[in-house]
Amino acid sequence: MERLDPKDGIAVVTGAGSGLGRALAVELVRAGFTVAGLGRRVEALQGTAALAGDGFNPVAADVADAKAVDAAFAAIRRGLGPVALLINNAAVYPHRDFLDETAESFMATTAINLGGVVACTRAALVDMVETGRGRILNVSTFADIAPLPAASAYSVSKGAARIFTRALIADLADRFPGIVIGDWMPGMLDTAMGVPDGLSPEDAARWGAELAQRMDPSLTGTLFERDAEILPPRGLKGRIKDLLLLRRRAPRRIETS
Amino acid sequence: MIPDAPEAGWDAIVIGTGMGGGTIGRALAEAGQKVLFVEQGRAGHRAERNGLSDIFVPEARAARGLWPDPLHATLNGRETAFYAPLGAGLGGSSVFYAATLERPERHDLDTTPDRPHPTGGWPVGFDAMGPYFDRAARMYRVYGTPDPLSVEDPLPLSPPPPLNATEEALIDRFATKGLHPYHAHTAIAHPQDCLRCLGSKCPRDCKMDGRSAGVLPALATGNAALLDQAQVVRLLGEGDSVSGVEVRHAGALHRLTARRYILSGGALGSARLLLASSSKAWPEGAANSSGFVGRNLMFHLNEMFALWPPRGTPDDGATKAISLRDLYHAGGDRLGTVQAMGIRASYGEIVHYLNLMLARSRLARVPGLRQMTRLPAAIAARVFGSAQIFVGLMEDMPYPDNRVTFDPANPDRLSIRYDFRPELLRRRRAFRRAIARAFRGQRRVFLGAGPELNFGHPCGTLRFGEDPAASVLRPDCRAHDLWNLWAVDASFMPTSMGVNPSLTIAANALRVADTMLKEAPHGTS
Repeated sequence: MERLDPKDGIAVVTGAGSGLGRALAVELVRAGFTVAGLGRRVEALQGTAALAGDGFNPVAADVADAKAVDAAFAAIRRGLGPVALLINNAAVYPHRDFLDETAESFMATTAINLGGVVACTRAALVDMVETGRGRILNVSTFADIAPLPAASAYSVSKGAARIFTRALIADLADRFPGIVIGDWMPGMLDTAMGVPDGLSPEDAARWGAELAQRMDPSLTGTLFERDAEILPPRGLKGRIKDLLLLRRRAPRRIETS
Repeated sequence: MIPDAPEAGWDAIVIGTGMGGGTIGRALAEAGQKVLFVEQGRAGHRAERNGLSDIFVPEARAARGLWPDPLHATLNGRETAFYAPLGAGLGGSSVFYAATLERPERHDLDTTPDRPHPTGGWPVGFDAMGPYFDRAARMYRVYGTPDPLSVEDPLPLSPPPPLNATEEALIDRFATKGLHPYHAHTAIAHPQDCLRCLGSKCPRDCKMDGRSAGVLPALATGNAALLDQAQVVRLLGEGDSVSGVEVRHAGALHRLTARRYILSGGALGSARLLLASSSKAWPEGAANSSGFVGRNLMFHLNEMFALWPPRGTPDDGATKAISLRDLYHAGGDRLGTVQAMGIRASYGEIVHYLNLMLARSRLARVPGLRQMTRLPAAIAARVFGSAQIFVGLMEDMPYPDNRVTFDPANPDRLSIRYDFRPELLRRRRAFRRAIARAFRGQRRVFLGAGPELNFGHPCGTLRFGEDPAASVLRPDCRAHDLWNLWAVDASFMPTSMGVNPSLTIAANALRVADTMLKEAPHGTS
């Protein structure tokens, strides 16, 4: 099975100062990667560094600020090396009734949850298109399918980020099959952004870090929820075609050791 | 950004970076000449691996190094538009080719007592081209085995990689049927760990094409520069000389000058540009006092068939390794080579193929039908399974009415008129009969019912010759009318030959470079 190797380059995790991002950074350092962790709060990143050890490099940057992101990636490239893995994890989930939103507050959420993904992806691709090899894993949710109340900005921006994954694939997959791009939904987590009785971020991060190291080009365009692949729904015509071609697919699972 | 010209000016502007432009640019740059490549498409990223695509968004096509717009073809009077397998990026169409570099037969160029040439012979014959075929084969790192039927000195070929089980079984079977298969002549530098980018862009310096064997080594000399995303709108000048080229780059028009102007935009693009350069001085277009610019357009006729290896043969993937010339000239007819296409009948290929057939059929206007080809293609992919696709390339003949057309209202459009002559259709029937006979007893099926032109092999539109009234270029590929204009793509060919054009284009470009360098050694200006 083709895997990403620490020799391929640097792993970048956004939102690395807390929760899932911190746990992903710790997992990747444990797997031997040099990790650059982006976050707004330096002291939070220092906390991650204390947990992760030497392989973790804090990089203070707000993903909503495209210029700051470009500068951060340039510094990573200069100081650590080319980027081979990007986990777009940074997100905010303000619980806010729409009547309490202003257009500005709504778009500020979008700037992080969608704008951050766009900016970091664009910056990471600078190295990846040169080698033709790389991995982009976007942490996503089902929030766009049936938005909860008081989640308009979150649902819209995270849903748009899923569309962005597909649009990115439309532009890149045939030209750069070695750049593997997909979505991962960690599930409801016991983090500041999640729910108290959710899964521990450390457990979820083991799946996420493992999925992020898998380089099989057929993973491009896939969606994983927790440790299992969610196959796209098939219409009647598609199901008949699968039957005719004996091509019914089984969802894949992430096995961690 | 437009590269700064050297102090003494450019020795040559090369328009287009495919087999012809890449090869001549490298030869000149290595000899110390200052060369500016002007490429309409993008330089792109070296790691890109995409193949041809039917995507209809021009910007998406441009990003992939594909010709952005459809080819408008009037075939037997019926208008159609489709995406021809043409590149527009660094390396031109050659980055998508299958790296088949086969030398033509003597009768392709010369008139011989038993095989008279339809034009009386090329002005530069087989023996004069010989050393350049050899040089091109070395430059493009061609491997293969000699054609056992050939009486000529073999090309300097590197040893090919070992055959896989499928290839061995097919070759054994062909040999027992009295055929003479050989390892196809293939321009691949590192066969050991080749990614098999036949039909798609190679991300390494492995597949040798106009980019990897031409432009990139030229740039590495330090004597050449590249201006990409720059479309040459027209040639400027009057009387018997070109005074510059008008280039559209980043939304503005620029005028670039050099001592020599070398056209290599492909047989369609180069002819279109000359026609688009009509002016008061050149009312019929540049270099067109003969009226032959764009005329004598030829392609090859593709006769595709699926062939199943003998039962029990292990399936080792698609083969590209086999060529044979048993039917090249048969029953007194000029036919052509037969070769493995390097594809198994895969789903994508079949969809592409069915859609091309559809675009040219009466059903083209039925909405939604394009999507409908997907299911039959999926079933066909199953049925054909491990079948190998072979193609017979049949020579096309020059007719002045088959031509590149130019419409001032759509100046950027590539458009052609082409009629299938009874003579061509008769030879096609003879070719099919010959193929059926040669592969008798082997499970096979012809793909496609009608005559299929290979739109990736246009040639002939600026034919070279001695007579300024009947040809556009002189024997050294300089324009009869314009002393500082040359053309080195497939447009110079008076006939289309029975093989893939690439080796001949490269060899001719090296020959033309030689004549230029004899005239002005070491980049003096």
